[in-house]
Amino acid sequence: MPLDGDTDRSRRAVLKAAVALGGASALSACLDRTSDEPVPAGDPNAKPTGQHAWREYVRHDDDGNSQLPSHQILLYLTLDADGPPSADDRDALAATLDALDRAYAWSHEGLLHSIAYSPAYFDRFDESLPDGVDLPEPRALSPFESPTLDRQDAVLHLASDRADAVLEADRALRGERADANDVSVPPLTDVLTVDSRRTGFVGAGLPAQHQDAAGIPDSKPVPEASPLFMGFKAGFRENQATEDYVTIDDGPFAGGTTKVIANLRQRLADWYDEQSHEERVMEMFSPGHAAEGLVEGVGDNLGSDSGIDRFVDALESDAREYGRVGHAQKAARANRDADGNVRLLRRHFESTDDIGSDQEVASLHFPSLQRHISEFEAVRRAMNGTDLTAVTPAVRQRVNNGILEYIFVRRRGNFLVPPRRHRALPTPRPE
Amino acid sequence: MKRRALLRAGALAGSLSLAGCSSLIETRAAGVPPVPEDRPDGIYHPSHVEGMSMVGMGTGGDYAVGLMYSYPHRFWNVNGDSVSLTKIESDDAVHLMASVWDPETMTVIPDTGLSLEVYRDGSLVSQEAIYPMLSQPMGFHYGANFGLDGDGTYDVRLSVGAVSTRRTGAFAGRFAEPATIEIPFEYSESAKNELSFERFDEAVATPGAVDPMSMEMLPDSFAPLESNLPGTVLGSGTSNGARLVVTALESPPAGIEGEASETPQGTYLAVSARTQYNRMVIPAMALSGTLTRDDETVYEGAFDRTLDPELGYHYGAVVDGVESGDGLTLSVDVQPQTARHEGYETAFGGLMGGMPDVSISVP
Repeated sequence: MPLDGDTDRSRRAVLKAAVALGGASALSACLDRTSDEPVPAGDPNAKPTGQHAWREYVRHDDDGNSQLPSHQILLYLTLDADGPPSADDRDALAATLDALDRAYAWSHEGLLHSIAYSPAYFDRFDESLPDGVDLPEPRALSPFESPTLDRQDAVLHLASDRADAVLEADRALRGERADANDVSVPPLTDVLTVDSRRTGFVGAGLPAQHQDAAGIPDSKPVPEASPLFMGFKAGFRENQATEDYVTIDDGPFAGGTTKVIANLRQRLADWYDEQSHEERVMEMFSPGHAAEGLVEGVGDNLGSDSGIDRFVDALESDAREYGRVGHAQKAARANRDADGNVRLLRRHFESTDDIGSDQEVASLHFPSLQRHISEFEAVRRAMNGTDLTAVTPAVRQRVNNGILEYIFVRRRGNFLVPPRRHRALPTPRPE
Repeated sequence: MKRRALLRAGALAGSLSLAGCSSLIETRAAGVPPVPEDRPDGIYHPSHVEGMSMVGMGTGGDYAVGLMYSYPHRFWNVNGDSVSLTKIESDDAVHLMASVWDPETMTVIPDTGLSLEVYRDGSLVSQEAIYPMLSQPMGFHYGANFGLDGDGTYDVRLSVGAVSTRRTGAFAGRFAEPATIEIPFEYSESAKNELSFERFDEAVATPGAVDPMSMEMLPDSFAPLESNLPGTVLGSGTSNGARLVVTALESPPAGIEGEASETPQGTYLAVSARTQYNRMVIPAMALSGTLTRDDETVYEGAFDRTLDPELGYHYGAVVDGVESGDGLTLSVDVQPQTARHEGYETAFGGLMGGMPDVSISVP
């Protein structure tokens, strides 16, 4: 039985909360779910050391690709006072996060969560981060973007397949209710202020349900099978870094990782209305994928690997021959280390948030995990394809240049995800 | 839409005046002449010309921008060899046009990315990457059709991308950052319908062009007169409406990088491309050339897109000197990657394709 056990009351509460989450998907998820199933409670001693250890605890498809939790919330948080946080602040936040651990199993059916800290947060301290931690201030990474930089102190990421769980945790953290999953949770807002609350969803069916959002043409083009608004799967297992690979391996933050979170507005009218599936495959993957007919529908047939590595060397010749280049093809060239390992672990999800307004506009929250922020920056720069505009005038700054015509970066923030043992307001050199 | 339906819609919305309805009924769109038949393979006189009105200007970073609007236009998009008609959609309210220039030299910057956000009362109405375009009255500009939410005040944010085209002379190192410039747009359908809409008869589809239209305060996108080009003009030729004028400079302008990032030694050959009739700059081609001397090839390679305050936008290559009697053959490998307004869609490659080589003999 959800919430406080009173079916009607709890149902109303869930519905109300679901509306706050922003739309039909959360709502229908609440209605459709097997609501008699309790949300599994947590064992604080059964949590992995890394806050970003999600892979073993989420669903996988038949090809072993991770299926990220359907419902996600990002709470951007600021400390009210100047200077470093106090020991009391630290204890209070630790108590809040510990309570969440007791309330929910570390699972897509319970709640996955992680808190991460910005360079601005660590600037509150006199001492600096260890040399091995690469956490620069966020910045514009393309010659055609001027994002607002997220420089809040911290961001708390909540994720679950259970909309009711993620919403209840969110409300408890923000002090709108005293408990979550029957566990008393001291509100986060005793210590931190929520500067920005962002929500989203991912997985087959949910983008199609949200395609009334501005930015998606009226023709309702988003396929039911697509986990994302643009109509294709992403994050194939072989094209993602492993959690081990992105984990910092020494120093006080060993076991942690770095996280870049961007928010991109999506404008998909021309993507869907002016282009065929084949042209979309060219721009999302590579012209070779289209020529060889490698992508059926949303790309389930690709299995666990988009096959992009085979087309990276063809970038310039594709630009000349087809007058366009693929998004994945461009990014992949910077997303492999010398041994061929993938460097980034992307965990993006869709949204109808239009940060700063109440409008529902198609957007994408793009968290990416990597050992070093500079690795993300290199991949993003490779994705700009600026070099390819010199190869042929057919490839322009945004046009015929992967998917750049359809995505507009509005926000970007850089964060350090400490290992679980240092997750509560860490100093730059925690013991 | 039928008049009665419109009146009903007006009553329901409570915002459309009767006068607005009557002007809607006589939509200009209904009166747009069809695309002329029997268009020549080259620049031709269009069926009509729409007037335009200045919305405003602004500056930011290294750039100045001007925003103009007109009736929604049909135009032809160019992607590589493919040229496709973009029709006017029923919900298009305006064609928004932007010009980007350097406020110091008043040089139009024709080869960057431009995107445009339209807001009303803080709400997003539209956001698009808009396309570089060539039209006979205006020459080079960036443009797209946009839908709007009726009469009112809009905020238009223009985001100019950093220029990746090679810059030389006083432009070296400039235009390296993006900028966003906001311009308010007071839109009313009735004011739009006051814009001129000129139809033509006999001249339609004959070789030729309508006159350039100049906008007050706005730099035009003319290529320099031959007599004003720096260096020694070696000759010119025309390829499917694109006139290529070749000038030779004794040394390359600053900003041309050779191997080891040093300015290479040699003669700089610059090709200034402009439309026949109107002398509007033609950007975004891939151009290559072969220089021969006594049956030997002394240069064969690309002429790179380059922006220079003296030469204007041009295509340049460093060669090991030119001598009287040398032959230069220029080939357009990729036609100008700009959308085309009517009268240009069959030129510079365009719908029928083909831009013949231009050969000149060095005098």
